[in-house]
Amino acid sequence: MQKRKKVWTKKRPIAVTIVAWGIVLLFLIRLYQVLEPLLRMHVIQNGFTAPLFLGASLTPLGRTVFTSGAYLILSLVGLVVLFGFLRLHRWAWVVLMAWTGVSLLITLINYFYSRPNFLVMASNVIIAIALSQSDVQRIFHIRMDQGEHID
Amino acid sequence: MNTLTDMQARTPRAGMPPDASDLDLLRRFEPVVRYTQGEQFYPTDVDRYVKECSLWAHYPDDRDELLVKQDEMTLEKLVEPRPAVFGTVHYLRFIESLSLSESAEVLANQLRLRRLLKNNFHAGIGRLARGGLLPRVVDALFTISFLLRGRVPAATAAAAELDYFHMRAQQDKNVYYGRVVRKGQSNWVVLQYWFFYCFNSWRSGFGGVNDHESDWEMITVYLYNDGTQLVPEWLAYASHDFHGGDLRRRWDDKGQLDLVDDHPVVYAGAGSHASYFKRGEYQDEANIDLPPWVHFLNQAWHKFWTQLLDQEPGDPFRIPFVDFARGDGLSIGPGESRTWAPVVIDETTPWVGQYRGLWGLFARDPISGENAPAGPMYNRDGSPRGSWYDPLGFAGLDKVPPPPDALRLLEKNAADITARQTALNTLIPDKAAELQSLGARLTSMEYNPHLAKQYAALEKKIAVSMEEVRGLRREYSENTALLEGLIGRLDRQKRGVEDDPRAHIRHLVLPVKTTRMRFDRFAETWAAVSLSLLLFGIVALVFFAPHYLAAGLAVITLLFIVTESILRGAFIQTVAQLTDILAVIGSVILFFHFWFWILMAALLAVASFLMFQRLRELT
Repeated sequence: MQKRKKVWTKKRPIAVTIVAWGIVLLFLIRLYQVLEPLLRMHVIQNGFTAPLFLGASLTPLGRTVFTSGAYLILSLVGLVVLFGFLRLHRWAWVVLMAWTGVSLLITLINYFYSRPNFLVMASNVIIAIALSQSDVQRIFHIRMDQGEHID
Repeated sequence: MNTLTDMQARTPRAGMPPDASDLDLLRRFEPVVRYTQGEQFYPTDVDRYVKECSLWAHYPDDRDELLVKQDEMTLEKLVEPRPAVFGTVHYLRFIESLSLSESAEVLANQLRLRRLLKNNFHAGIGRLARGGLLPRVVDALFTISFLLRGRVPAATAAAAELDYFHMRAQQDKNVYYGRVVRKGQSNWVVLQYWFFYCFNSWRSGFGGVNDHESDWEMITVYLYNDGTQLVPEWLAYASHDFHGGDLRRRWDDKGQLDLVDDHPVVYAGAGSHASYFKRGEYQDEANIDLPPWVHFLNQAWHKFWTQLLDQEPGDPFRIPFVDFARGDGLSIGPGESRTWAPVVIDETTPWVGQYRGLWGLFARDPISGENAPAGPMYNRDGSPRGSWYDPLGFAGLDKVPPPPDALRLLEKNAADITARQTALNTLIPDKAAELQSLGARLTSMEYNPHLAKQYAALEKKIAVSMEEVRGLRREYSENTALLEGLIGRLDRQKRGVEDDPRAHIRHLVLPVKTTRMRFDRFAETWAAVSLSLLLFGIVALVFFAPHYLAAGLAVITLLFIVTESILRGAFIQTVAQLTDILAVIGSVILFFHFWFWILMAALLAVASFLMFQRLRELT
């Protein structure tokens, strides 16, 4: 019998999988946030039946379309980050960490102004902790061992 | 650290006959001191300095009394006995109090003098740009503390520079005060070189921690008698108020010590005159007396951050004061453009032993940084100076024998232990045989109820005997290992193999690498104005958006920190740290609101884990 060849691969830490699933979940939420208002305003079924602008300001339809557009962009960015994250790219870690930091800051400010969103706060805390693990940072080349350097 | 195989054979060193005079010994090993371009004060003689001073007494009721006027001052008058109440501080005053117009005049003259001499200092990357925003905040608090503490005015520094220039113009002599200690130093011969400067201009001239009138600095050379001559083995350079083995380098440690024709090279810090072994820029940490609770909180946070969160350590209280010891200015010493005028001193030199006061202005600084130092023999409070009465202990050399003694001490140690092992070789079998005999007696007592009392007593005796035999066997085993080490070291010593010259150093002070700054000039400007901009921003928030003060403050602070991190090339690290801190705050809030559910979830997780483990054992 031929001896099985050992294949050495970089093992993906469990924290990476947790974060990846978190991004997938956020993508689905964002997708819902894109589609729900458009469905509510019958944009998908009937197209644009009213103007988006009234003078220099947005109409209700215009606001809906722009909000959905913003969420769509966020979803697409999330997808790109997820792709980079699963490929263990350094930039994906940086973008995700910065994103989580900004999100946490907004959530904390909202909390102190009596507008708490504990679900988002908890998910951000989990993602931040997962991204801070030393093995995760090493696999993304954020933290270097002695003698190691970025290629 | 070097391994045993890296160790080099001892190289022969040029020395001096043991009966050489103190002056000849001092001259043979006198240093070459290299200063930084821009240095204003060089070693001078105390006679001329004292003649330029007045003598004062500061009493506990905060009153100052002039004891001897400037024109009447001499070294003889300095040492006259002056009984005073407890808490009195005697001090010299190099620069008399200046009026506003006099201050303006000397500051203008100082600028003119510097232009004339073309003796300018360029800091390169400024000290503020070398640290982050938080150290800058601590630095600002330190600067503000001068409003509450006593300080040496800027005009005094300028006047000192002008006066010293005139002193040099009359007679430019560079003096060191040499002391030779031959007795009471465990077979070491100690050479101390004391340097006296009229002024320490570290703060006003080079952005350092303090200014003070007069400055005493010192280096020490440790010699031993190799049978025919006195040869140098160690050097210790005093640096600020540090002491211990870290100040010491071995004479043959070429990587850490520069020698010119067997004369050690000292790189003096600009303004501070602290002594360094290698040229460069040294980042100092100012010793701030923080309250104990701040220390406690800082340590607790450090543990939490590094151990629980597994993050890189960092010290927010590190104020970036730089000691510039570039060695690109004037050099004094053998073979240089300027040479030394040595003066031999000891305890009997009147101004050394009999004047316990300060050698310059008593600035009433409670943490002493701006008060002038006392002389070579005393601390500021008049107590004896450790480096004077215990020059070996000062450099952590009191436990180190000179090389010829080391061999003798090692042989004695090895002989003592060998003798003890021989004794143990007889003692252990005897004691073991005795123990076995007692054991046999004990067994014979079993099943004899009437011997219960004797049985119990014998049991106790056996326990003591067992402990003794175990102790002897442990000692024998430990001695075997120790003897092995001693014999190995003895062998290396006999072959003349040197130890690692840096084995005694716990914290090796090295020059800092210049911090990588992205937009050099912009980063410098940012470092200078960032804290003020932050304060302006806070004021703007208070006036224009008072309802969003907390949120605005958080956002502004974060923006400043992120800008700073981009300039310092530490964006990723900063973002990670900030997010982690926000996550910690978020965790605390979540625990505060949902502690019951979090505890329940934790209990459920533990229960599930235990069940999983137990069920796995069943399969």
